[in-house]
Amino acid sequence: MATTIVLDPVTRIEGHLKVSVVLDSNNTVTSAKSTGNLYRDFENILLKRPPIDAAFITQRICGVCPVSHAVASVKAIENAAGFKPSLKAVLMRNLIQGADFIQSNILHFYHLAALDFIKGPQMSPWAPGYNQDIRLNDSQNSTFVTNYVTALTIRRKAHEMGAILAGKLPHVSSVLPGGVTTSPTSSDISTFKTYLNEISSFITGTYKNDANTLASIYNDYYKIGKGYGNLISYGVFDLDASGNKKLFSSGVHTNSSDVTLNTSKIIENVKYSWYTSSSKQNPADGTTTPSPGKSGAYSWMKAPRYSGMPHETGSLARAWVNGDYKKGISVMDRMMARYLETEKIATNMKTWINEIGTGSGGYTEFKSPDSGSGFGLTEAGRGALGHWISISGATTSKYQIVTPTCWNASPKDDSGNFGPIEKALIGTKVANTEQPVELLRIVHSFDPCLACAVHVISPEGEELSKFIIQ
Amino acid sequence: MKINRRDFLKWAVAASVALNLDLDMDKLNIVLAADTDPPVIWLEGSTCAGCTISFLNVTKPTTVDNVLTTKISLKYNAAVSAKSGESAMQAIDKAASTYKGQFILVVEGAIPTAANGEYCILGEVNNDPLTMKEAVLKYGPMAKYVVAAGTCASFGGISATAPNTPQCSSAESVLKGTSVPIVNLPSCPVNPTILVQTLLDLILTGVPSLTTNKTPTKYYEATIHSTCPRKGTTEGKIGETGCLGGVGCNGPKTSAYCVSSKWNNGINWCIGTNSPCIGCANPTFPTNPLLSSGASPTASPTSTNSSNTPTATPTKTATPTSTKTGAPTSTKTASPTKTPAPTVTTKPSAT
Repeated sequence: MATTIVLDPVTRIEGHLKVSVVLDSNNTVTSAKSTGNLYRDFENILLKRPPIDAAFITQRICGVCPVSHAVASVKAIENAAGFKPSLKAVLMRNLIQGADFIQSNILHFYHLAALDFIKGPQMSPWAPGYNQDIRLNDSQNSTFVTNYVTALTIRRKAHEMGAILAGKLPHVSSVLPGGVTTSPTSSDISTFKTYLNEISSFITGTYKNDANTLASIYNDYYKIGKGYGNLISYGVFDLDASGNKKLFSSGVHTNSSDVTLNTSKIIENVKYSWYTSSSKQNPADGTTTPSPGKSGAYSWMKAPRYSGMPHETGSLARAWVNGDYKKGISVMDRMMARYLETEKIATNMKTWINEIGTGSGGYTEFKSPDSGSGFGLTEAGRGALGHWISISGATTSKYQIVTPTCWNASPKDDSGNFGPIEKALIGTKVANTEQPVELLRIVHSFDPCLACAVHVISPEGEELSKFIIQ
Repeated sequence: MKINRRDFLKWAVAASVALNLDLDMDKLNIVLAADTDPPVIWLEGSTCAGCTISFLNVTKPTTVDNVLTTKISLKYNAAVSAKSGESAMQAIDKAASTYKGQFILVVEGAIPTAANGEYCILGEVNNDPLTMKEAVLKYGPMAKYVVAAGTCASFGGISATAPNTPQCSSAESVLKGTSVPIVNLPSCPVNPTILVQTLLDLILTGVPSLTTNKTPTKYYEATIHSTCPRKGTTEGKIGETGCLGGVGCNGPKTSAYCVSSKWNNGINWCIGTNSPCIGCANPTFPTNPLLSSGASPTASPTSTNSSNTPTATPTKTATPTSTKTGAPTSTKTASPTKTPAPTVTTKPSAT
């Protein structure tokens, strides 16, 4: 007798996500579906506006990774203009994006993911919580709770650090086509370094210890939630003005071999998505025509595929593609890769902050082209992010966004392959169907961001009534 | 966590002194009589979650850990709450019933109203999806106050920008006809100091003095331009230290608290980065174009940017019009006569 577990909402993510799984008689997941529960019309909002507006507006896709959207957007607009920003601009963007990565990764570990493994304080909003398979002893748990609170402070300070160059966070003012508008003073740089030192100490001390603690106590999670094992990264943190050299390189790991990223191989499928727009299109050519109730569809997320195959994206994909971490692909590997990159980013920020220098030079007066097209690729905390823009009559005529969660939380593609999160859930044994923490640990390990999933998401129509498992 | 009466009083007195308010002992005692921290339920509609993140960034009047453990009892927030699934939905319902007439409902994001609100589902109750619209209509009137956190909840904001297929609306327009007092706290994201201080003001002294936009007068009475440190300085271009009026700064028509509070613990603000105010606290945000003077950064005829190779005519600006009025506001709220597009299959009634 098959049973179904519906988790709606999945909390401790950004945005609105529902996950349903079907279990067999041994309580093992045999099939899974992930559904977004909010539809936003972002790609259409951007049309008939000056391209620069996209640099501000696309940040409002996601309050957790607004900087990555700003960077993808300005890269797309600059690409359309054939413009390259100065090295100073590139490094200031890295520092702002790095600050946001740090706060995002700390937020993920302590505030989004940890409560699947530890007991929170016995008060709202942490209670009611889970008490299934909590393996930490009281002393370890108490340390974790203390560090949860400290981590709130540290992630806040990461945003304060970023705001020195960004103006404010979330939603920055200084990252525009042409560069970064801020003229840092020596005092700004000194304040930035003070913040960075405190944050780095937390990362290499507390965060590292806690990541290792979880990894050793829950080491069976190195074998849970693998999924396909295909990984994709667009690369992030340019190290020169050309953008060719990056701290995390771009690349793809498909069927156990590493290959060079070729964006023309990115194709979006919509057979199982609520769209009537053509399936199997590259984002540069893609359109978004919603069609709620489309027969056979069960999600509003499109299904991006690389070389026709589902790929996972995020910290682990970045680390793997860059050769930093190749131990394995699982829930705990994702957690450890996320820690390791946080440390690496903070370390490199110490170099960049010494290289930017004071005063102007980060921004070059910029004119958007009257017509043209371009794309901007970068990474958000949770993975590969791309913006594609077409300009005509000096305004935006087409804008397509493919977010990391589109990759990770996508539905089946036209060939019937499950999305990466769905695949990672399949085969998992649930000990207690009332408290399916195994499923939450897997879903949270991808750090899903449904706020980011833009056109991904769907009003739920009839699929609910169709979604009856016998 | 049970409130510590002595600590609460100590804090209340300090807050009142800081705010130059008379301490209302009767109201304080009502709060204390609830035998708990004042309950808050936080619902996210059509939002980027940026207002939740901004809330986590609060430092004044105090930090978020202190807010959560000693000032309010946050019964539900999707980004923070431990439990997923139906028990999360039950937590909302239980808190609203238990503290009916006492709790504060914080609305983050706009509320999609097309297709019976099905563009935003909060979760399932008894296998029946609860839309944001249904939740606001259900829990709003049960609340003592509704706080619209950020521009989307206050005025529709980014979420309600044309074409606005989901017909996103503000909390105020969805709750029109009900008597629950609403306080709007626009800006994108919400200013966390204003949010937390307003929650405390509501708990301690009731609804503060409001502008016609239902925003607290003390934060939203003056325009950014009126106290801008760059007011009257030499005009500058984007990336330069001067008044940014010539490149479309929205400071003169935006009422907000940015000059005084700045952002991120007072570290910086938009104009501090030599970038113009985009008017994110305005009822008309986001105007088209955002930098609405017409003098966008593309406008300067003296551009010396040699590496940029546009195909443009040299004198034309990239902005389609030079209107000063920005986007039409008629797209901001759903017109009841407008046909929802696209049509969404209606789920079985939740009632």
